[in-house]
Amino acid sequence: MKNYIYKFLWVAVITLFAVSCKSTLEDVPVEQQTLEFVFDKNDSAGSNANRFLFDIYTHLPVLFNRVGGDFLDAATDDGISSLNSNTSVQQLAQGTYTSTNYPDDQWANCYAAIRQTNIFINNIDQVPLLGKLSNGTPYNKVWKAEAKFLRALFYFELVKRYGGVPLLGDKVFQLGDDLNIPRNSFADCVQYIKNECDSMKNNLRPDPVEPSNLMRPTKGAALALKARLLLYAASPLYNGGNIDGNNALTGYTDYDKERWNLAAAAADSVRAENVFGLDTAFKDVFIVEYNNERIFARINGSNSSLDKEDSPMGYTLSNGRTSPTQELADAFGMINGKDITDPASGYNSIDPYKNRDPRFYKTFFYNGSIWLSRPVETFEGGADKPGGTRQQTRTGYYLRKFLGDNETLTAFNDHSHDHILFRYGEVLLNYAEARNEYLDKPDQNVYNAVEAIRRRAKLSPYQLSATLTKDSMRIIIHHERRKELAFEEHRYWDVRRWKEAETTFNTSLHGMLIYKLGSGTLTYQKVPVYTMAFAAKMYFAPIPYSEVTKNNKMVQNPQW
Amino acid sequence: MKRYVYIFLLILSISPCILLNAQVKVSGIVKDAGGPLPGVAIRTRGGVNIGITSLDGRFAVTVKDSIHVLMFNSLGYQAEERIIVNGEFLEIIMQPSHQSLDEVVVVGYGTVKRITSTGSVSAIKASEIKEIPTSNVQNALTGKIPGFFSQQRSGQPGKDASDFFIRGVSSLNSDAGANQPLIIVDDVEYTYDQLSQINVNEIESISILKDASTTAVYGIKGANGVLVVTTRRGASGSPKINIRLETGIQSPVKKLDFLNSYQSASLVNEAYKNDGLPLPFTKNDLTLFQNGTDPYGHPDVNWYNQIFKPSSMQRNGNIDISGGGAAIKYFISGGAFSQDGAVRHFDDSYNSEGIVNSNYYFRRFNFRSNLDVQASKSLSLRLDITGRFSQINQPYAGNVVSELYDFGKVHPYSAPFLNPNGSYAYASDTKSQLPTINARLATQGYDLERRNDMNILFGGTQKLEVITKGLSFSARVAYASVESNTREQFREVPPSYLYNPVTGSYTLHGSVYTEGNYTLRAKQGLYNNRVNLQAYLNYDRTFGDHHFNSLVLFNRESYKEKTIFQSSDWIPQNFQGTTFKVGYDYKQKYLIDFNGGYNGSDRFKSNNRFGFFPAISAGYNISNESYFKNKFTFVDLLKIRGSFGLVGSDKVSGDRYLYQQVYYAGGGYNFGTSATNVSSIYEGNFGNPEVTWEKQQSLDLGIDVNLFKSKISVTLDYFNNLRYDQLVTPSNYPLAAGIGISPTNIAKVRNQGFDGMLIFHNNLGKFNYTVQGVISYAKNKILYMDEPAARYSWLARTGYPIGQPYGYHCLGFYTQADIDNPDIAKPATGSKIVPGDLKYQDLNNDGKIDQLDQKAIGKPNIPNTTFGLTLAGNYKGFSVSVLFQGTTGYSLSVTGTGIEPFQSQFQPIHEERWTPDNTNAKFPRLSSNPTTINSPSSYMSDFWLIDAKYIRLKTLELGYQLPEKLLPLKISNARLYVSCYNLYTWTNYSLYQQDPEVTSNTAGDAYQNQRVVNIGIQIGL
Repeated sequence: MKNYIYKFLWVAVITLFAVSCKSTLEDVPVEQQTLEFVFDKNDSAGSNANRFLFDIYTHLPVLFNRVGGDFLDAATDDGISSLNSNTSVQQLAQGTYTSTNYPDDQWANCYAAIRQTNIFINNIDQVPLLGKLSNGTPYNKVWKAEAKFLRALFYFELVKRYGGVPLLGDKVFQLGDDLNIPRNSFADCVQYIKNECDSMKNNLRPDPVEPSNLMRPTKGAALALKARLLLYAASPLYNGGNIDGNNALTGYTDYDKERWNLAAAAADSVRAENVFGLDTAFKDVFIVEYNNERIFARINGSNSSLDKEDSPMGYTLSNGRTSPTQELADAFGMINGKDITDPASGYNSIDPYKNRDPRFYKTFFYNGSIWLSRPVETFEGGADKPGGTRQQTRTGYYLRKFLGDNETLTAFNDHSHDHILFRYGEVLLNYAEARNEYLDKPDQNVYNAVEAIRRRAKLSPYQLSATLTKDSMRIIIHHERRKELAFEEHRYWDVRRWKEAETTFNTSLHGMLIYKLGSGTLTYQKVPVYTMAFAAKMYFAPIPYSEVTKNNKMVQNPQW
Repeated sequence: MKRYVYIFLLILSISPCILLNAQVKVSGIVKDAGGPLPGVAIRTRGGVNIGITSLDGRFAVTVKDSIHVLMFNSLGYQAEERIIVNGEFLEIIMQPSHQSLDEVVVVGYGTVKRITSTGSVSAIKASEIKEIPTSNVQNALTGKIPGFFSQQRSGQPGKDASDFFIRGVSSLNSDAGANQPLIIVDDVEYTYDQLSQINVNEIESISILKDASTTAVYGIKGANGVLVVTTRRGASGSPKINIRLETGIQSPVKKLDFLNSYQSASLVNEAYKNDGLPLPFTKNDLTLFQNGTDPYGHPDVNWYNQIFKPSSMQRNGNIDISGGGAAIKYFISGGAFSQDGAVRHFDDSYNSEGIVNSNYYFRRFNFRSNLDVQASKSLSLRLDITGRFSQINQPYAGNVVSELYDFGKVHPYSAPFLNPNGSYAYASDTKSQLPTINARLATQGYDLERRNDMNILFGGTQKLEVITKGLSFSARVAYASVESNTREQFREVPPSYLYNPVTGSYTLHGSVYTEGNYTLRAKQGLYNNRVNLQAYLNYDRTFGDHHFNSLVLFNRESYKEKTIFQSSDWIPQNFQGTTFKVGYDYKQKYLIDFNGGYNGSDRFKSNNRFGFFPAISAGYNISNESYFKNKFTFVDLLKIRGSFGLVGSDKVSGDRYLYQQVYYAGGGYNFGTSATNVSSIYEGNFGNPEVTWEKQQSLDLGIDVNLFKSKISVTLDYFNNLRYDQLVTPSNYPLAAGIGISPTNIAKVRNQGFDGMLIFHNNLGKFNYTVQGVISYAKNKILYMDEPAARYSWLARTGYPIGQPYGYHCLGFYTQADIDNPDIAKPATGSKIVPGDLKYQDLNNDGKIDQLDQKAIGKPNIPNTTFGLTLAGNYKGFSVSVLFQGTTGYSLSVTGTGIEPFQSQFQPIHEERWTPDNTNAKFPRLSSNPTTINSPSSYMSDFWLIDAKYIRLKTLELGYQLPEKLLPLKISNARLYVSCYNLYTWTNYSLYQQDPEVTSNTAGDAYQNQRVVNIGIQIGL
């Protein structure tokens, strides 16, 4: 009997022990952030919601050396990569990409950002924000307007590449939703972005924005985006020049002159704000942060990495990644405003860098320009074109634009290198172009806009002939755009929207071969260095191949 | 403090007196044909362990007078039985019997005998690998165990542990550990790198568990197989001291060969000429490179020879003491291992005495104390404490082998080794423009990673014979922690000069005139701990011809780690489960086992957390049937067995909580002219609420045969595993949704193959010899992976093995006729094609070579076949053992700085390039353009892929047991030996310079695998 009691006790003790090991595994992990935490119903400062908004900004476009290490403009007739290989820009310039490896693919980035803006727009009203702007707009409205501006900009980035894309509205897809979504027409997309700009602009911060909020979008940014959008929409590629007949995805199916008028009016509304102007010094636009020419920029901070990447390779730590072409150099006329082809211009082919358009000197490193206290040497065998296996200029030029004031220093100084996405100089040129296209003959407003750019460039005289026709004015505006906005990611799209790429981007590009003779004399010789190729399908980027296979309503762009 | 020590000693010394009364003392020596045998287990007939023989084969035990018979067991020998008489001195000669029937192998939570095992287990005794001169257990197992696949990817001191898999790979899961076996040391889970820290001297045995019947007890963690390690324990007897000292010389398995300045510059010129570019080197340059008359203007430096020593040292020392009384038994060991790096020492004015050692090296110190306490007749306790302290040093300057390969960093003609005035030169003709590698090695300091591993295990077993005979209860608590950090003592680049021999002038590079001070900085490394609790009831009893054994085990584990960037730091990862085993055999003839685990992991949602993993196995010992026994007397064992069961894997990639959508902290953004960066928040991928463990149906059929008194033994297993519900990210979710989705349980892979081992043991007079062959074969196939419909059939991944490479099929070189022929396909990129470029097959016949022409080429990088052949023999005191290990059935390729011109240094293979005079070339024409159709990074093709195989003379050991009478002092036993590792390699991979175990699609520029020649002495006191 006693034995049994013992046995029973043993079993009881062990059972108790086993039972007491109750599970403490948590049913849900508790340390991770959730949507409720981001849009906190109790936080009147909205600090996490603000951080969520910040992340949307990180999807904004960048400009410098962004396409496989090169400027997008190195895929135009303005420049080539110094790297002699199958670079991304070479693929873009020669059309050697497919729908599986388009080097400038922004589809995923933009749609990821659009989803974030939609989450923000749908949830920010739950946050009891207390703050308001000095003009009385509460922060909920300001932040929501910022998100809407960003969303509009991402859509514009998509539309200029792919044509009409699926418009999602405020929809946030959930698991299990039908994702077989069709593309909207080009016209719908333009209308949507325009309406968004109109509805959100008055809730954005007013201009000029105070220094602590610099680089947040302002009303001016929304107006500038709309101006660029409508300029593109009015341009030949979309307005009457649809490459695919009645394909509503690749542009309007008709021509409407009034679109130019809308574009001109949109650009003029930026001027009408009366807060933006042209900086007196062209170079300062790019390196002085608080500057009334800037309308919207993506912050990049103060550093010298851009200087190192693009300065001539002969300087310590420099890579000389970009080689602007002779074509771009030749586009810059003389300081007297005349083209170098004009016999009266004073251009001297054996001293070609003398008395040029002052913007030339702020855009190019050329043989003899001063940098870090020594002359740049791009003659054969010179310090910045020594031959051998190191990466070096292929055209005799390096890119000077955007770099800091390092001419008289001995090492690079840090400079502000923000990515300027909209500036007043562009708005003026947008206006001039749209207005000129709308009228039968340019009026004084067109002259004023173009001459303002030329005056700031310090051309002397900056005035244009008073008897220009619409066509000759167009040439001047296109030309001025090329010089003024070089390497700011306009040329690549401008030539496309003008529908001129089949000729302009289907050509040989040249460089300057310079020999230094024993006497010290320099000889200059223009030589072809590179051949671009363009086919009509390249007016539009291919929709990612995988996207077409996954979504049965997704229509690919023509010929991809 | 001192007082406690005395009290402790007092308890120690009197405890045997309390526990024991009427006793029998027996001592003796156990030998085999080769000499004294250490580590022989001494047991009672009832199986109670009472001691083991010391290193000199001696033992002295005291047992109760009720015990009349002692059994002597040792792995690899037939058991011996002796009747004992008090005070007697026994001399026992053990008969070798590889794979004897009573051989005991360790499995999960217990042991099995070869004769009654129904599962698939392979075991090895530590003594078989102890003398292999490598710091890692896993390196030593290569070629010794069927079912074990390993590849040694690097030879860097302290980082040279092999990757290994049991029966190949089965999962497409992208988690790094998705195919890694579970590692269990003394019943506690270890990580891969914890395993590589263990000193082999502390190990008693190693088993690998391969089929469901043996791994089901680990349930949700068992699908990849299990490696089980047990450590040595003490045995009764006077203290035995065992000392081992070794020293070895390491040298790279293959010396790197790069072309000299003249050869390289000639090839550079040729490439530029091919590209239509101006030639960088003049005829005069080439002449000067060739005749070496301008060593500063036209240097020719063999950087590899200048930087690396031909050999470096490695040293190993161990001491262990074991012994004990009936109450307490101990095994205490300590060891030190040191492995030097192969980089030379470079003097510098600031470092002339070598105060700062920037060379590679590895040092490890380890200790272990395993104590067993017989607290009462029925209660035994154990306390194991072990610690390992290691240091891995490496130059701050970076991976030196990779630097030497990298054409972007240095060329043989870049710079002289030192300028004439003793200052440093720099590679003025490269993009990075770094000072020469010797300058940076001399001045830039080191990264020193220190790591401490601590493990404590406390446990006890209470016999519950009061309830019923054969029942016992055990419990264990184990704690394991790893903590590591890196000390960086570094400087930025030293001043360097470009010397102009014409003018005699020096031009400073950059703006640094002097070497700055060292900066000291620390960096956190691994930081984790694991707590494990186990409690189990064990029941083992024989009723006449019926034998039962069973186990019920409850197991909980919590693992925490701190990494640098994750918000989940220190959040425990929890695991909990119950395991049971029931085994029954009738007369050891009919065998049947049920094993199962019911366990779960908090990686899954609460309603999806626990799974049941059952396995059944059965065996039939035909040789125990009397009709068979009488007919085939030479057959000692003929057993067929099979098992089938379900096991799981809870590995999840990336975030642990795939079922939850998480918002992450992002890179940050800021506004304003003087704003500070604010980290942002972004939405993570959609959660997958249904996420659950991967499952595997494992089938194993095996046969075990012993013939001629176990002189021959054979084991052969066939397996067929179906891994399903694998976690992979579905690839059909559109990007326009703006969000990714989490992996879902969809993929399915079948993995099947066989492995086996044959051992033949015999003697010619006093010459005993053993031949042992091991083979493993495993091949997998993806059955389903939710692939979007491929545009062309050859693009599909389904139906191919995991890790299948894809690329172009090479048709040779383009000729001018091909280029002129518009019907022959050309690459879709704009690169101009010239004769000597690689020509690929245009599979879709669209006239263009592009991604749509890629198909499966070659084989995955993980071998499907590996084998080992061990030849061993001994004669009197001499012994010899040789292991040949080979691997086939895998492919590899090298890319980037490992092989591509102008990324890689020029190598002998580049001399065999295509030229108009050499159209049957082994390498395409040279080009300075790194992204042409000839680049394996841009255009992987079967031209670059090598169907690799190799056979290595992996280990060679020669030993001599010194005769006892020659031994001085109190030395009871001494053995001298020479052991070698990676001694020689035969491989078809000779075109390039990398080791055949290189990871595919990399530059293959890891620190080279080392050959080691080691001499050692082992002394017993």
